[in-house]
Amino acid sequence: MRINLHVWRQPNTEAKGHIQLYTLDDVSPDMSFLEMLDVLNEQLIQKGDDPVAFESDCREGICGTCGMVIDGIPHGKQSGATVCQLHMRKFKDGDDIYVEPYRHTVFPVIKDLFVDRSAYDRIIQAGGYVSANVGSAPDANANPIPKGIADLAMDAAQCIGCGACAAACPNGSAMLFVAAKVSHFNLLPQGQPEKATRARAMVKRMEDEGFGGCSNYYECEAACPKNISVRFIAKLNRDYLYAAFKEGV
Amino acid sequence: MFKYLNHLVISKFVMAATGAFIVLFITGHAIGNLQIFLGKDALNTYAAFLQSLGEILWAERIVLGLAFVLHIITSIYLKLYNNKVRPTKYAVTKYIKARFSSRTMIWTGIMIGSFLVFHILHFTSRDIDPKYKEMHEVYQDEHASYFGFDETVMQATNANDFGIGMHPIIKQRHDTYAMVVDGFQNIWISLFYILAVILLGFHLSHAIQSMFQTLGINGPRFTPLMIKISNAYGIFIALAFAIVPLSVLLGFIGRGL
Ligand code: HEM
Ligand code: FES
Repeated sequence: MRINLHVWRQPNTEAKGHIQLYTLDDVSPDMSFLEMLDVLNEQLIQKGDDPVAFESDCREGICGTCGMVIDGIPHGKQSGATVCQLHMRKFKDGDDIYVEPYRHTVFPVIKDLFVDRSAYDRIIQAGGYVSANVGSAPDANANPIPKGIADLAMDAAQCIGCGACAAACPNGSAMLFVAAKVSHFNLLPQGQPEKATRARAMVKRMEDEGFGGCSNYYECEAACPKNISVRFIAKLNRDYLYAAFKEGV
Repeated sequence: MFKYLNHLVISKFVMAATGAFIVLFITGHAIGNLQIFLGKDALNTYAAFLQSLGEILWAERIVLGLAFVLHIITSIYLKLYNNKVRPTKYAVTKYIKARFSSRTMIWTGIMIGSFLVFHILHFTSRDIDPKYKEMHEVYQDEHASYFGFDETVMQATNANDFGIGMHPIIKQRHDTYAMVVDGFQNIWISLFYILAVILLGFHLSHAIQSMFQTLGINGPRFTPLMIKISNAYGIFIALAFAIVPLSVLLGFIGRGL
């Protein structure tokens, strides 16, 4: 198949970028989107041009580095999949495809499609852990957890921190990310002692980084490659309000 | 007092809590208005009852006014703050789940707010058409005691001639019914009201379910149902308010006036 790729090119953070058109022939429908970009880069390198910078690592949908915006949607139109899991068969011969980096003041573009997402790491550092020294693994039945709660915590823990939620949100809010990270601890017994502090500290870090607030658009949930539900945002709101009453803001 | 604006989740909580208060009021107001279909006596009795609440009425006005002020200040602050976070748009703009009603909350809100100012000047303070201040109805109060003295006794009915203890049957009160009919017989005013309450319904269709999410209530069965209820409530409020000007325009109400 033949596709017309409109790719954002920006040499560095300060430079003004622009959209560049590349036409690719002989794209196989079995290629992943990243493999298609690899093919483009090989051609660019052969011509002596600068290849398109983009991030990827696992290429199996679990590391979250490959986030980019395809036709206005982070990770593209295929629901519940990362860019590395998106295949060219989802597109038609002759399609125009727009590929851009996340556009977010907290995720500055480093080069082309490559953005700096370290703000998410700093949010994790603010409270995305349990600070008790737990020693070696206890017996599985030593700490009973109801199946429903365990499942819910696992759903929250699915978050791969790819940044799509903040990139999709019209407000640039990172609430879905923070909610998933807070919930996956706050649902489990090990997370209880620091429940209030964690909710407060991670939201505070999110605010200090410059992310926006939630307006319940639910665009994050639609873009999330792991289908994290906005019900975790409701839970975060609950945990945060509880914390605000308990400890102040 | 406005320090809470520095906290995004608290600000949202303020939006939801003040919104909930206004929703309670709006619901009562919409249902109360429908008494116009029971006739002039029912509406005017209801209006006079509200006026007779005195301090309670003022307490309600103050609380509601405060809720509105906080709701508006917080929403404008949040909007300006959030707009700065992602100033650059994508080459292709696509929304999957963000409904039109959710993306236009600030605009429907501002339009409702402007309408509210007009509405208060129109039917509450009656400054838009001062003749509404002087619209009175003379009526017979069946519940009044036959004995005793009442300030509202109409001089014009010669009630005094009955002598102390016999007169408080004929009284006067504001003629809300005539005011509403007169107001809505103006097609432009009616159309303006109808447009405003449609926008209000639109605002509420997002707001109700959003409020539960903000307050932390979300569940796999609850939320889909609440989204339906939210839409239905928005439609109900728009219809319940709009049917009054519509009925006056079409002549179902107030033909004889
Ligand atoms: C007077 C002018 C008004 C303005 C400027 C306004 C503005 C807004 C805005 C911008 C939001 C969304 C906030 C956000 O999520 O970022 C909102 C939410 C809401 N509005 Fe209004 N609004 C107004 C009037 C009303 C009225 C008359 C009602 C009720 C009858 C109402 C009820 C609500 C509710 C319940 C919410 C949901 C709060 C939440 O999402 O938790 N608003 N309003
Ligand atoms: S490369 Fe790891 S998720 Fe796509």
